[in-house]
Amino acid sequence: MSEDKKQSDPIMQWVTFCLGEEKYGINVMQVQEVLRISEIAPVPGAPSYVLGIINLRGNVVTVIDTRNRFGLPSKEPDDASRIVIIETDRHIIGILVDSVAEVVEMRASEIETAPNVGNEESSKYIQGVTSRDNKLLILVDLNKFLSEDEKAELDMF
Amino acid sequence: MTQVQPKQPIVHQQLALDTYLSTLLDAVPDAEESLSVTLEKQRGRVVDAAESLPESRPQSHAVIVEPALEPRLNALVALETPAKLHPLSVMPEWAQYEFQALFFKVEHLILATPLTELSRTIKIERKPGKIPGQPSWFMGLLDEADSRIGVLDTGQLIFGKSRGSQRDLEAKPFKSILITRDKRWGLACDEILSIGRLKPEKVRWRTSRQKRPWLIGTVIEELTAIIDLQELVPHRKR
Repeated sequence: MSEDKKQSDPIMQWVTFCLGEEKYGINVMQVQEVLRISEIAPVPGAPSYVLGIINLRGNVVTVIDTRNRFGLPSKEPDDASRIVIIETDRHIIGILVDSVAEVVEMRASEIETAPNVGNEESSKYIQGVTSRDNKLLILVDLNKFLSEDEKAELDMF
Repeated sequence: MTQVQPKQPIVHQQLALDTYLSTLLDAVPDAEESLSVTLEKQRGRVVDAAESLPESRPQSHAVIVEPALEPRLNALVALETPAKLHPLSVMPEWAQYEFQALFFKVEHLILATPLTELSRTIKIERKPGKIPGQPSWFMGLLDEADSRIGVLDTGQLIFGKSRGSQRDLEAKPFKSILITRDKRWGLACDEILSIGRLKPEKVRWRTSRQKRPWLIGTVIEELTAIIDLQELVPHRKR
């Protein structure tokens, strides 16, 4: 591949995780660490997509209920459940997922825009879709995962 | 001795049919109900005809018309007295000439759409990948051959959310998908019935498409709804 093409079609790495029957990917550069499930302290009055807070080496991190965010039925955490600590803009948050799968590499050209047939706002955090091992991989744009208002709200916890 | 009164002939048969169909199709909330109920009554005839056909061709292949099917299916739309036409101001090109249509079933409703709007049909062998934040009628994406198709819950699109979404897709999954000509959309359905040839004059075309623009007409004899897929499938917003 020529140098020009490499630049216009960069290879990106994605951490994949599962929620229900679907597999999602998030940019590896935004993943700080992956934790086993620990005690999540609920926050009174928090919005439904907030599971609670955890103490991460002295820092309070808000944990998002990703299933709730994606409109999936709730599920009790189990041994495979993980909290993925991610950095979005200036915020550090945790997202609870059913399991973390692997890190995959793919070229930007492999990513196809997901059709948005509903409310413009409803799936704005879906960056695109691609196929991996004959299965659909949905790529999540973490910077749009929460709105500015929601991020501001999380700062209050 | 009492004289038997000869039966009064229906003078305005054509007018009666026209009024009936107009009510059936144009009264929107009721149209769905009455159309489906009427079609349910008529279903037996169409289904019988379709079921009497030889086992349909492999569904994963392209939609190809089998000439042997046509004579029998032509009988479905053969009418002695064609209805007076009130064509739409903008008619799809396929509706202006005799066209071949695929008959399929969603819930208990039999629908038809022109073959030219389809690329092929497939059986559903795996679940579409659900995309978060999309409407409930968007079942997800499915990689199929060289395309990624958006699979639509045809029941919800046709019957509306309140009635269509009552279906439990886990307990009663759709069996087949009709893939549109551009291979971008797939319409989930319960059964693919048959292919038939339809003449425009045998169809009662709707005169207004402000409401339910995808419902373009009705096969007069069988009261099978003809679907304009271009109007039924959503337009991708980005």
